[in-house]
Amino acid sequence: MSDPMVEVRGVHKSYGGVEVLRGVDLTVERGEVTCLIGPSGSGKSTLLRCVNHLEKHDAGELRVDGDLVGYEARGGKLYERNDKQICAERSRIGMVFQRFNLFQHLTVLENITIGQMKVKGVQPDNARARARELLARVGLDNKEKNYPSQLSGGQQQRVAIARALAMEPKLMLFDEPTSALDPELVGEVLDVMKDLALSGMTMIVVTHEMNFAREVANTLYFLDAGMIEESGNPREILSAPKSERLRIFLSKVL
Amino acid sequence: MSTNGDATVKVVPVRHVGQWIAAAIAMVFVAMLVHTLFSKLPTGQYACHLVSGVRRCHQLSEWRFSWDIVGRYFFTSEILHGLLITLELTILSMLVGVILGVAIAVMRLSTNRLLSATAWTYTWFFRGTPVLVQITVWFFIAILYPVISIGIPFTDVTFFHFSTVSVFTPFIAGVVALGLNEAAYMSEIARAGLISVDEGQTEAASSIGMTRQQTLRFVVLPQAMRVIIPPTGNEVISMLKTTSLVSVIGVVELLGAATNIYARNYLIMPLLIVASLWYIVVTTVLSIGQFYLERRFAKGALRTPPPTPIQRLRRDVVGILSKFRTQRGALGETR
Repeated sequence: MSDPMVEVRGVHKSYGGVEVLRGVDLTVERGEVTCLIGPSGSGKSTLLRCVNHLEKHDAGELRVDGDLVGYEARGGKLYERNDKQICAERSRIGMVFQRFNLFQHLTVLENITIGQMKVKGVQPDNARARARELLARVGLDNKEKNYPSQLSGGQQQRVAIARALAMEPKLMLFDEPTSALDPELVGEVLDVMKDLALSGMTMIVVTHEMNFAREVANTLYFLDAGMIEESGNPREILSAPKSERLRIFLSKVL
Repeated sequence: MSTNGDATVKVVPVRHVGQWIAAAIAMVFVAMLVHTLFSKLPTGQYACHLVSGVRRCHQLSEWRFSWDIVGRYFFTSEILHGLLITLELTILSMLVGVILGVAIAVMRLSTNRLLSATAWTYTWFFRGTPVLVQITVWFFIAILYPVISIGIPFTDVTFFHFSTVSVFTPFIAGVVALGLNEAAYMSEIARAGLISVDEGQTEAASSIGMTRQQTLRFVVLPQAMRVIIPPTGNEVISMLKTTSLVSVIGVVELLGAATNIYARNYLIMPLLIVASLWYIVVTTVLSIGQFYLERRFAKGALRTPPPTPIQRLRRDVVGILSKFRTQRGALGETR
């Protein structure tokens, strides 16, 4: 009896005639960390963005916590959900972007409180208290009055993680969270993510950090040309890749 | 002083001789202009009086720019009332323009083709016809629509109706004409602001569960303001002067008031100067307001906000003083 957090079955997605996802199957168990690796253009980010419906998938079934993402099944038909319902779904799925995407006009503290206040209706005092708790957790409790442009990339990404956590997500999506960082700043972000994984958060991470994948991931998926080429235990896959494509890919990145 | 090994090597900046010559020529012209501003013209009339039994005459003269007359009319109630009407017209039509303009910009960016086509057509029409024509048309709108009624098109169902003439007074016609025209320009400014905000901001807002309206209101618009404000300030200043066009439909605003006065007394130049000076005064106040508004909405966009003119002045004064002090100190040491 399995009750996975995320279940992806035969998901397809194309952009103007180009098929980016060509029937992807993927399962993420509760409390597990799943890493997606693959060459650029393989569809990793698109798959991740389908999970919180930032992109609409064209075919296949995508469930988060048992519910279909973006659609409602009624009487043998799929009805697209309205803006409000999709937003409610998304608020429980945290997302961290490659380019941080912090709200530039708001301070660090306001970045973390705005979602709580406007989406969840949390009282300002409680929202601020929770934001400060989270800032302490990501090691930035002295930066709450700063604007994002005054922070380093690593600091911005940690604020972005805190912003996502403030919504009390059941699932966290990371879209190449360290790819836009200077090498010496990668560690501080990965540390926060490891911490989060240890606390039992369910996570899907698109990454090029093979060491992180090996250490933290429970399951590793290798995507190539819109399909899952290989998947399984990261240690086994990374040390003894079965497919030729993964072998070529690893020889380039390791 | 040796050049190598000396920590205090003196840097000699390049001298821009061409610039200096150009600046000197410019200054000569400025001086000529300033001189004419405060010079007098002969009137052709003579004043004569007896000085120790001898009749002495000299020609009378008056200010070339009639500053005494300008001063006399500057604060008359007729001019001040005109100024008030000008300000009311500016504020009201800019309000209509900004609110409608943002709405049209949002429509234009909508994924619904009908909405975006409607917005495009609006802008196309109101930018495509002269504002002077629009003002006149709104003034005579009762010819086309004697009665305005709200109901269901192509049926006889009406919810309410009123006579157009009773509503479209010259002032209202002016506000409607200027406001609707301005909305077309403002919509393009607002659209530029909205598309200048990085798509990542919208995605991040969506990812924490904000609806599209919330995203627009709390994330996109505040950041778009930074791009929207400078050209909008431009529009306000431009509108201030465009309001003078409504004098053609009989609204007595600032220029209208000045015109009315010189139609009676033929003091054309002094009254045009009175009106122009008032326009310049208001423009100056608006520019200062714009500076502080821009500063406010630059929050987070710049690591350090630009200094206000007062801060800059203080810094310059402190800088010059300290330079002066160190120079004196250096001199003291060499002595």
